[in-house]
Amino acid sequence: MLRERGWELSLLAVLLVFPLAVQDAYFRHLMILVLLWVTIGTGWNLLAGYTGQVSFGTAAFFGVGAYTAGLLAHHLEISAWWGLLLGGPLAVLVGFPFGWISFPLRGAYFALGSLALGEIMRLLATVWESLTEGMVGILIMQTFVSKVPYYYLALGLALASILVMELVTRSRLGYYFVSIREDQDAAASIGIDTTRYKMVSLSLHAFLTGTAGALYMNYMGFIDPQVVFSLSDISIMAILVVIVGGVGTIMGPVVGAFVMVAVQEIFRSGGFGGLKALTQAVGGGFLPVLTKYITQAHVLAFGVLVVVVIMTLPNGIVGDWSRIKRALRRG
Amino acid sequence: MDVLLQTLVAGLLKGGLYALIGIGMTLIMGVMGIINLAHGQMMMVAMYLTFVLFTFLGLDPYFSLLLTMPALFLLGAAVQRWALNPLLKVESLLPQNQVLMTVGIGMVLTEVMRFIFSSNYQSLKTGYSDATFFLGQISFSVPLTIAFLVACLFTSLMFWFLLKTDLGRSIRAVAQDAEAAQLMGVNAERIRTITMGLGAALVAAAGTLLLPVYYLFPDIGKPFTTKAFIITILGGLGSTVGAILGGVTLGLAEALGSTFLGMQYEDLVGLVIFILVLLFLPGGFKRLTKV
Amino acid sequence: MTGFGKKLALILGSLLLLGAGAGAALAADSIKVGVVLPLTGSQAKFGEIEKNSFMLALEEINAAGGVNGKKIELVMEDDTGKPDVGRSAIEKLITQDQVSVVTGGYSSSVTFAMAAVAQQRKVPFVVVTGSDDKITEQKWNYVFRINPPASEYPKALGSFLTEVVKPQSVVILYENTNFGQSSSKAFVKDCEDMGLKILMKEGYEAGAVDFKPLLTKVKAANPDLIYMVSYVMDASLLMRQAKELDINPKLFVGGGAGFTLPEFVKNAGPAAEFVFSATLWTETVPFPGAREYVKKYADKFKEETEYHGAEAYAGMYVVADALKRAKAVEPDAVREALAATDLMTAFGPVKFISYDKKTQQNSLPTYLVQWQKGELETVWPKELATKPAVYPVPKWSER
Repeated sequence: MLRERGWELSLLAVLLVFPLAVQDAYFRHLMILVLLWVTIGTGWNLLAGYTGQVSFGTAAFFGVGAYTAGLLAHHLEISAWWGLLLGGPLAVLVGFPFGWISFPLRGAYFALGSLALGEIMRLLATVWESLTEGMVGILIMQTFVSKVPYYYLALGLALASILVMELVTRSRLGYYFVSIREDQDAAASIGIDTTRYKMVSLSLHAFLTGTAGALYMNYMGFIDPQVVFSLSDISIMAILVVIVGGVGTIMGPVVGAFVMVAVQEIFRSGGFGGLKALTQAVGGGFLPVLTKYITQAHVLAFGVLVVVVIMTLPNGIVGDWSRIKRALRRG
Repeated sequence: MDVLLQTLVAGLLKGGLYALIGIGMTLIMGVMGIINLAHGQMMMVAMYLTFVLFTFLGLDPYFSLLLTMPALFLLGAAVQRWALNPLLKVESLLPQNQVLMTVGIGMVLTEVMRFIFSSNYQSLKTGYSDATFFLGQISFSVPLTIAFLVACLFTSLMFWFLLKTDLGRSIRAVAQDAEAAQLMGVNAERIRTITMGLGAALVAAAGTLLLPVYYLFPDIGKPFTTKAFIITILGGLGSTVGAILGGVTLGLAEALGSTFLGMQYEDLVGLVIFILVLLFLPGGFKRLTKV
Repeated sequence: MTGFGKKLALILGSLLLLGAGAGAALAADSIKVGVVLPLTGSQAKFGEIEKNSFMLALEEINAAGGVNGKKIELVMEDDTGKPDVGRSAIEKLITQDQVSVVTGGYSSSVTFAMAAVAQQRKVPFVVVTGSDDKITEQKWNYVFRINPPASEYPKALGSFLTEVVKPQSVVILYENTNFGQSSSKAFVKDCEDMGLKILMKEGYEAGAVDFKPLLTKVKAANPDLIYMVSYVMDASLLMRQAKELDINPKLFVGGGAGFTLPEFVKNAGPAAEFVFSATLWTETVPFPGAREYVKKYADKFKEETEYHGAEAYAGMYVVADALKRAKAVEPDAVREALAATDLMTAFGPVKFISYDKKTQQNSLPTYLVQWQKGELETVWPKELATKPAVYPVPKWSER
């Protein structure tokens, strides 16, 4: 067990001591984002990677969690931390009618339905100004100035989600999920109540995502509908994290989250300002132009990354690791 | 009364355009069984093409239809040939790999256009951009009316093509049962490539027709992708007639919604209809029209 | 699996360490000032104008000897128009670059999120554009704002209405964005104070293809005044379709945002003629350096600037002035210096005062402009007008 899990444990150890080793708030901030994406990605992976139900509506649950926390503080003056307990269950509640409508249908319907759900939630939150303040958004003051508590909370949540994943995949539930993914009719014919188990999978997904949303609210302190119900920044990003890392693998979302946050931040900041420093050192030439293009290219980089990963590593970095290794050895 | 009539006219004209967007998508969905989440982005590319042709060569948008449609046919076919078809052979856990691929392609198209044209708004002004004519008290926008007529034309052409030509029949055969079609000697891969090209060409037509009354920036594709899939589900996968009905229904529903509920509910109306269709008419209008 | 694991752990570990190393700030003999603006994404156009204006002011300040013998260095960060990214950016500026003051802030939501960070980390933040009222209503003593809040944009319009137009009824249309929702709410209050009857107040999702259903309703309501808070392309479409439908209120007024931009008149064409708009600044304001700024900008960047640029240009001078007076180049000293600011800039006099619920907010007059023959003319207040207002506005059919 220990030998087998050696690298995972050492990664855990690195993550545990990270805030002690790195004092810099900016890098701590990036790591918190990574951990949040691990949670969200793991939730999506459970639903899509293990149960085969590709969802474009992660933002719906993320947003419900975030707004739960935000609205508690905003309207009832209850600490937004209660959102961590309530955000998940409320997201599950939103998931129920949606699953009830879309699960009896097959194929593209679920994907499209989930996309519609996310957009409906965003529009509702925008229009329902008396409840949500609309696009003005909700602001709360964070409890801690230091990033360390948030870091460990995010780490705890990420670990919990991976633990859930481990337990599910080892249990009978995981077996049901995978059989639904592989062949729904066959699953139904051996007596698996497919709609029910898809619902269980959706609920787990919604719960993890909603809780992550609530933590996001507490950490970021500001949300508006466009931020938390965003199709491209939340729903699609969640998919990218898992696709890049490895669909249907436990460590896929971990690797994917790290890669995606790193790619985004490296491009946005021009290699953490390295490009700019280089420009100053060399003194102009084509570098400023290059820097400008690179900092503008982070979404393009995402797009290209997805295309390349799907074409060459259809099972993601973790899923196709043996192939990468072989290719590396040959090269 | 005027308010209602004007609303209906506005909805109908917009619906024609939506139908054109929807037909392309429904073809792709019917044949490939996947949603093309880069559909609106392809339309955006066609709009930029129209814009460039107008600004640098002075080509009238209606004339550039002759160029944008073939160009987008090539783009669509190339995407299918080199990006989507290969995925059919790749072993992967998720059957939806192709859908996710279209997401990536959509992002690439958007960002490449942003690189070339920046995020700035672009528009082109023709002599007829603001032209209107009146029937009684009801105003009709000339370019939108033309767009509506052209949409009707393309739709009937499409219908005829699918029913009467060999290629059209092959497309329908692949849509119905790809394996059986293949056994009958249809090259399914080639048909998929052609279908994607056709879908892209049709949405290109919609973009080119829309540009004189609208405007353009790289992110404009996304909302139209959403509209396209709503129309397709409304109409029923693969149904041309359904797409027309779906497009017009969505156009009318949005117009009525913005008049009688409030303009901020415009997009919400479409999505709610979508959910209702999933609930009560899962096959879309296709179930009613049988075509 | 084990091999993969080792390598992964190694890579992750080394990346983490790299991060730690890069965190050490380089010693510098210049004063660093952080600027956060949307340099990519949909707001990039304005981010670019503001960035250029900051740079323009910076060059002038440094050429004139900098601040107490030291040059100012701007550290620009891109917020991409998203609050969470803006937050990352300001965190980076504060902890990595260790700037003692941050400025910029374009969209309201990004500014709001950043202001909270600045307050918490006790680093002064000089807001130049983010206009949500709430930003200066939090009693945040590290947050200063140069531009008026959204609710004050139509101040000049108010006096024009009560003195000249005396309308009875109004229709308010606004885009569902932070700026649209908050400033339309504020305008509703203004209307109630003026005793105006609000016939309709409706929001819409930015980017609509067709405003005809909405405008048909507006036409049926037949208001004296149509007040619109829209961004430039929606604004053009609204006006074009209003012309198509032959809607003739006493006046069309834009609530800032898109209605004052050159693109508006370019796209709306003749439909833009005689449209009024509230604005914060025009080239013709009676403040020293305003015209010069416009000219210098045009010479250097070969394009037109507008009020956002003037805000940024003034913002740079306010920051430099505070750095000059600060006892030390560290956040608290700069904060104190900022609080004592009393400076005339091209954007207007800057003094951070408290009034109503607001703290450390600059108070400025606003203006009413009107498109006349394709040019934007200041028409109110009267004493600053470049042209008299064309009022009453002729009907579409009589033009």
